[in-house]
Amino acid sequence: MAGQFKYGVSLYSFTEDFGSVMGLEEGFDHIADTGATGIEILGATHVTGYPEPPKAWLDRWFDLLDWHRLEPTNMCSWVDTKLRLGCSMTIEEGAAELERDLRLAHRLGFKFLRPKFGVIDQDLTPDPIWAPAVERVLDLAHKLDIVMNPEIHSPTPINHPVVHEYIHFIERTGTKNFALLIDTGIFQDRPLRGWQHELPEGDSEAAKIINGIHVDPEEFLGIAQYVSFIQAKFHYINDDLHDENIPWDKVIPVLKRAGYAGYLSSEYEGAREPWVAIDQVRRQQLLLRQLEQAYDAAPVAA
Amino acid sequence: MYEFQLIQSTGFRNHGPQGARDGFELRLRLPNYRGMRLSLLDGIDVTVDGEFFGHEVNSLILHGKTYDLEDMRKATAVSWAMGDFGSVFVPKAGGLAPGIHHLKVAARVRSPYFPPHLQPLPVNGERLATIILP
Repeated sequence: MAGQFKYGVSLYSFTEDFGSVMGLEEGFDHIADTGATGIEILGATHVTGYPEPPKAWLDRWFDLLDWHRLEPTNMCSWVDTKLRLGCSMTIEEGAAELERDLRLAHRLGFKFLRPKFGVIDQDLTPDPIWAPAVERVLDLAHKLDIVMNPEIHSPTPINHPVVHEYIHFIERTGTKNFALLIDTGIFQDRPLRGWQHELPEGDSEAAKIINGIHVDPEEFLGIAQYVSFIQAKFHYINDDLHDENIPWDKVIPVLKRAGYAGYLSSEYEGAREPWVAIDQVRRQQLLLRQLEQAYDAAPVAA
Repeated sequence: MYEFQLIQSTGFRNHGPQGARDGFELRLRLPNYRGMRLSLLDGIDVTVDGEFFGHEVNSLILHGKTYDLEDMRKATAVSWAMGDFGSVFVPKAGGLAPGIHHLKVAARVRSPYFPPHLQPLPVNGERLATIILP
């Protein structure tokens, strides 16, 4: 039988709380109390003094990990290719952004780094410097034992040139330090409620984000061997423990059949108000566990 | 800690010598969910009681330094970190009268991972806020 999922939570889930009604200590407490074993963060959001946290902050970080028995999972970072208006970033600068975050992630104990590359068009094609920049830091990532995993995120589906390029890179270099991170928002098959005001009207890309891009979960089987981490993106789980946007009852059996035994890291992205996320994350952690248990009790044949 | 909303209550005040005010300030939380380098902020539009002041004329005071739009665009090594306050300086001769004012803010944030036509994307705030001293 394939392994079990590992359960984690991203501090990003608490974006509407963090910094105003929630600090790092409270975030750890909410995450650990779900029974999760892993914590995911955004470097530039959750690390005081990023990218060079002071010693007092580092001491506190490791104390909190020990106290709550959490392990660092994935650190999110950005390669801001449009840092200068009207100017591209060089390969050297791109590699330096990656190196900065690889070193910080390693210092904090992370095993995965999600770099988000700037894009050049409406199809969200990453700036072509991504490949040579990543190639320059593969040895460093290997030395630091970190897997860099860009996210496959709505509106980019699994079957898309961007994903094909990433897989081609993995095959060409033979690296074990670059892989795919799947954001489960790609499986969204029903519209988000209350998001219309967030995005420009009449924009076709915005419509995709509202309505979902309906990737068939079965498509995961074709890329499973390249997947290192899953952000369990969700937007709303109602009072009957029913997710109104992401079809978990279809997604979880596919992940199990694929033999996925990595992290499911809760990533709540819903109402733009504080005090909502804490219980939403608890609901999702319960829902995912129930579905995994149900599958294990009666596996569905492929 | 921040107040939840973008425009903070504290920090809304007149600017310049008393009796010869040259404008007003309003304080913002970081207009992004991640700390960002200042060159990714392409200025801040402010509307007070219906009067519009564009991002080309307003400046930002961060860590005690003042950045106009050109300075911001060049500030690739300056970080507006989570937890830092920034104040917008809006030039307006005489400043604002003590009282409750209607404020609207659009912080123009460039996110390189968004498609080009969505850059910059305004991060909006709107509220009533109070100036105490003339």
